[in-house]
Amino acid sequence: MENVYQMAGYTLHLIPTKKFKTMTISLRLQSPLLKDTTTIRTLLTFVLMAATQDYPSTQSLATYLDENYGASLSTHITTKGQSHIINVATSFVNDAYLPSPEHLLEKQLQLISDLFYHPYLDNDGFHPSIVQLKKKELQEKLQANKDDKFSYSLDKLFEYMGRGQVLGIPSTGYEEEIQNITSQQLYQYLQKCIKEDEKHVYVVGDLPDDIVNVFERILKFPSHCHDYPSAYIFESPRQDLLEVIEKQDITQSKLNLGYQIQCDFTSPSHYAFTVFNAIFGGFSQSRLFKVVREKHSLCYYVSSSYDAFNGMMIVNAGIEANDYRKTLHLIGEQLADIQAGHVNNDELYLAKIMLVNALKKTNDEAGSMIALAYNRDITHIRETSEEYIEKLMNVTLEEIVDVAKKVELDTIYFLTGKEFHESH
Amino acid sequence: MKVIKYPTLKETLYFEEMPNGLKVYLLPKVGFSKTYGLFSTRFGSVDTTFVPLHEQDMIKVPDGIAHFLEHKMFEMEDGDASEAFAKLGASTNAFTSSSRTAYLFSTTSHEKECIELLLDFVQDIYLTDENVEKEKGIINQEIGMYDDDPDWRCYFGSIQNLYQHHPVKIDIAGTVETVASIDKATLEKCYHTFYHPSQMMLFVVGHINPDEIMKLIQDNQQQKHFSKENPIQRAVVNEPLDVAQKEAVLHMDVTMPKIIVSMKINTILTKPQERLKRELAMNLFLDIFFAKSSSLYDEWLNEELINDSFSAQFTQERDYCFLQIGGDTLYPERLKEKILYFIEHIHEYDIHQEDFLRLKKKTMGIMISLFNSPESIANMFSRYYFEGIMIFDLIDCLNALTMDDLMSLRDLFDEHYATSFTILPQIQ
Repeated sequence: MENVYQMAGYTLHLIPTKKFKTMTISLRLQSPLLKDTTTIRTLLTFVLMAATQDYPSTQSLATYLDENYGASLSTHITTKGQSHIINVATSFVNDAYLPSPEHLLEKQLQLISDLFYHPYLDNDGFHPSIVQLKKKELQEKLQANKDDKFSYSLDKLFEYMGRGQVLGIPSTGYEEEIQNITSQQLYQYLQKCIKEDEKHVYVVGDLPDDIVNVFERILKFPSHCHDYPSAYIFESPRQDLLEVIEKQDITQSKLNLGYQIQCDFTSPSHYAFTVFNAIFGGFSQSRLFKVVREKHSLCYYVSSSYDAFNGMMIVNAGIEANDYRKTLHLIGEQLADIQAGHVNNDELYLAKIMLVNALKKTNDEAGSMIALAYNRDITHIRETSEEYIEKLMNVTLEEIVDVAKKVELDTIYFLTGKEFHESH
Repeated sequence: MKVIKYPTLKETLYFEEMPNGLKVYLLPKVGFSKTYGLFSTRFGSVDTTFVPLHEQDMIKVPDGIAHFLEHKMFEMEDGDASEAFAKLGASTNAFTSSSRTAYLFSTTSHEKECIELLLDFVQDIYLTDENVEKEKGIINQEIGMYDDDPDWRCYFGSIQNLYQHHPVKIDIAGTVETVASIDKATLEKCYHTFYHPSQMMLFVVGHINPDEIMKLIQDNQQQKHFSKENPIQRAVVNEPLDVAQKEAVLHMDVTMPKIIVSMKINTILTKPQERLKRELAMNLFLDIFFAKSSSLYDEWLNEELINDSFSAQFTQERDYCFLQIGGDTLYPERLKEKILYFIEHIHEYDIHQEDFLRLKKKTMGIMISLFNSPESIANMFSRYYFEGIMIFDLIDCLNALTMDDLMSLRDLFDEHYATSFTILPQIQ
């Protein structure tokens, strides 16, 4: 159950429920994902939550949040296909569980408003002390991400597969551009976000009766309505399969495969592809896990994921360097098998109930409830969870085979040890 | 069935001990679609020396066996437990820590069948020499995955620095060598010793009717036969006071250095309430000095010694206890000196009442929010249960803490027992 209100410069979505002891607010700002703005937008998410005029340092802002019974405040940056999304979120304990009323809703909402309208400034830019600190933090975070070989190899797959396209633009920006951004440019970019980004606000929890008035009073943005594109179908400009092998001093090799699929979140075949992915590699009951892990003991993890916003699919596995060809072969064999129509009703049914169960579980977690609602809101898909489940349940074996036939391996990125030798 | 109400948290807990010794706790959550069941035993990676059920002598089993057994439990004579759960629309998993093993399911339908399945697959073992051998390749890849993870290597390395003999220094999954030596007979010995119902606890939280579920569990347990229980004899570890090594450096194919300063605490408390008090007090203490609102954090941040990844953690399990402070840093040596200085001069650091009260509020808020999620309730419940503590008592215990309780913790700090573990990029 979700109530929607058109407010000053944003859409407010209220999801009332008494089952949580906290209230969660999430403000999402959408703008196109562009090569030129990805770094500044990422840096802004770091600088934005670092300080305000009233709390002009990490320490003073953290002290304020402690006082508010450990209320959280965070910003994240992600992509939704062709869109670059900033998420500003807070969650805090409902007054009913506190010794005395603290009015945390008003306080935290005011804080979010202050991030945008009363940041800690110096002349006509963010305060340089904050910007310098956050540049360093972003730089170090990008470095640490690279040291995580799982996410590094996945980023590399996107980089190679999406070269020259939106898929190849890193959602967290380019390391080498960070230092050149000035405090003034960053503040000007904030003004642009306030004016031009498409905004949705979600609130989940035991909501007070006057909540709409509270938002009306505290949070305002300039009236503006933009429809930015998000989901799209990835299409490769290349004809041939791209195979990239990189060597590092590591123990376990990371295999990452990128596929073209001719389907995205808004396609009629979206439901069939969702079920196909569940059969192929989405769960621990899926083909890939059963065959590559359980039958051949080649890995600890292997799975496929359907990226419905980039309209593509990835498969990843951690394996022994020597098992590279064998693993590739087994994965290819499973895909070919489904494409050839070798898939039965038991598999189909199992995949569907796993998906339905996973969907129902999102109802018990505020963050997932918001994520689900947001996906539908930015793609303008008006669909209840019941309708979605019905469409999933109606998917037939023929449709599975049809979507499988459109799946085509596009890029292989293999991160392996120094001792790796290709032997055919 | 015993009914315990917790008005502050607005929660009601149901408890019953089965005739075979199994303890069952149920926590209904109104409005939730999900039900989460967690079946745990006090068998972890540190339990490598013990007297097997119906035997007389201590044996030493290969490192990593608790974790190996966890992997193999899912195999049933007539199929695979994961698949049986999937057919019910549920998902299942398991995890092994240093002190316990836990099996779980999560579902939005067929709650009763899932509870029975959880009990049935864990209360029966089906091993063959072939299926034991086959698991080794999978576990070796799991070990390999952690080998390349710099955060894990630093975290674990800082524990290995502290202990000379205690098995907590051994990786939960063991090593490729110890895994190779695991066989069917030893796994079965571990199973019969540590999976007796009297050693285990079932916790179910979510969309459930406690009367019906308790009855179901009683009926399920009545149909099964178990040998008479025997208290388990575990080896007492003779851990010397001194640390194993003062410092260690590991070069990896990474760009960001990391450091953790760890400190061994040799005074081990035994009474559950005292242990809980120490844990909550120490966490508050570390928050006062190292949370983002602290002046040390602010100082080190401005000196560019730390970033968001910095943290200070306290661990207290069974017969070991330690601190870990550190994170990613471009200047590991300088950060190390700062942390060691803090430990050495701990008595010069005072606690201010406003910080104490503020961080108490923060901790209380965070504890309340942990009761939002069935998973986090179940995992916390199981962890504290085997420590002899009910999680619903945490908030009262926190409220009762005084400044003096925190001040007295300073006596546990001793630079003699502090070590450092550093991850550095490879030398080109």
